[in-house]
Amino acid sequence: MASFVPTSEETLADFRHYTEERLVEVACLDCLARVRVKKNSEHQTSVQWTGQSQADCQEFQRRGDSPARRDVHKPCPRLMASIDDAVRAGDVPIGAYDGY
Amino acid sequence: MSDTLAQNVRRVDQGTEPIRFARGWHCLGLASDFADGKPHAVHGFGTKLVVWQDSKGKLNVLDGYCRHMGGDLTQGEVKGDNVACPFHDWRWGGDGKCKEIPYARRVPLRARTQRYETAVRNGQLLIWNDPEGSAADHAILPPELPDVMTDKYTPWSWHTREINGSHCRELIDNVADMAHFYYVHFAFPTSFRNIFDGHTATQFMESKGRPDTMGGGYGDENSTLKSEATYYGPSYMINWLEVDYKGFVTEVILINCHIPTGPDSFTLQYGISVRKPEGLDEKTCAYIAERYTESFGDGFLQDVAIWENKVAVQNPLLCEEDGPVYQLRRWYEQFYVDVADIKPEMVDRFEFEVDTTKANEYWHAEVAENLAKRAAEEASAPADA
Repeated sequence: MASFVPTSEETLADFRHYTEERLVEVACLDCLARVRVKKNSEHQTSVQWTGQSQADCQEFQRRGDSPARRDVHKPCPRLMASIDDAVRAGDVPIGAYDGY
Repeated sequence: MSDTLAQNVRRVDQGTEPIRFARGWHCLGLASDFADGKPHAVHGFGTKLVVWQDSKGKLNVLDGYCRHMGGDLTQGEVKGDNVACPFHDWRWGGDGKCKEIPYARRVPLRARTQRYETAVRNGQLLIWNDPEGSAADHAILPPELPDVMTDKYTPWSWHTREINGSHCRELIDNVADMAHFYYVHFAFPTSFRNIFDGHTATQFMESKGRPDTMGGGYGDENSTLKSEATYYGPSYMINWLEVDYKGFVTEVILINCHIPTGPDSFTLQYGISVRKPEGLDEKTCAYIAERYTESFGDGFLQDVAIWENKVAVQNPLLCEEDGPVYQLRRWYEQFYVDVADIKPEMVDRFEFEVDTTKANEYWHAEVAENLAKRAAEEASAPADA
């Protein structure tokens, strides 16, 4: 059951544009985690994890999952370095398409 | 108008508001405000709640209307551990059961009312709401804040404001809204990131006040702000703030929480506690805390002015410099569906860094222009003006 219900098909299409399109898979160079990445510009980055990739990330496993710990929210530096590598290698295209 | 033209026009999809209230912990206010042995009224979840402290010091929350003939329990009395209805003196316990009807031989077996499980965190009363009626999940309570409520921090300065005509999702949208900090709160966000993960949604922001406005909320040109704000569930945010004012750094904790009251209304509550700077006397610390309370209070009012006049948008049109509004709403949706219907993508971790470079280039140019205009006006105005 959806709660906030859109009244048109176009809204659902927008939702897909903004959340799903142009995500590129990037594998962490240090562990088994695989995430999907999008870069709308040099400085913009989106990283979509899955339950599996979070379980695979050694950094997150080491930190534990207590919500009381503020550092749990910080990105994994190994994965961020892996994404930078993938961008340098040209595997993640940089640029937006009409705002997404 | 031709069909082609009409088709090219983008329409606002206002969607429909949810018919239920979010599942999760909601803060009703400072626990100490309910601890006087009297029943208290708090509007929430489409009804009125009654809150009272029993003789053991426990805070209890029930639906505010007596199941007998609908009397208003918040106008009753606390008798023993129970709240007594002003209409016929039916006595209700914190477990939701009617304990006594003084004029009756026995209490009907079905005399049970809606109760809310309670928890006290950081000196605040939280209650669990779930339309499916599940037991409260204490594992996802917001964290205890170390040292807050000790003499290292100023006591909570707590404020309440009713908002009508907006769904509380408008307030949540701010988590991903980088550009409104410039236009509504008069600050330059120089760094802006979001992380949504499980039941938490976090905004990391660094900002500087605008020199061409009088500040309000996010400071003036002499202050820089490092802010980390996390929603623990649908309605309770802890905002850790480090404010650097001309090299003098103050740690501020801002609680921003709300209770939905109807399909398009909610009560906003915010509280501020400031880490007492070393070497300052109590009076100065209290003054600093009041100043921050005032300025962040002003910040909320700036938002309220927007909310009260905008429409709901189910299909926001975004540009490259905007934050991840759709992903934030996907996260928020988890609190409005049955637990069985929570999809993995609603809770899967998502990280987003906004590119603030282009925006700041433009904004700095605009501010410089505003300052130049103002200087020119001042120069041409009469000297005594």
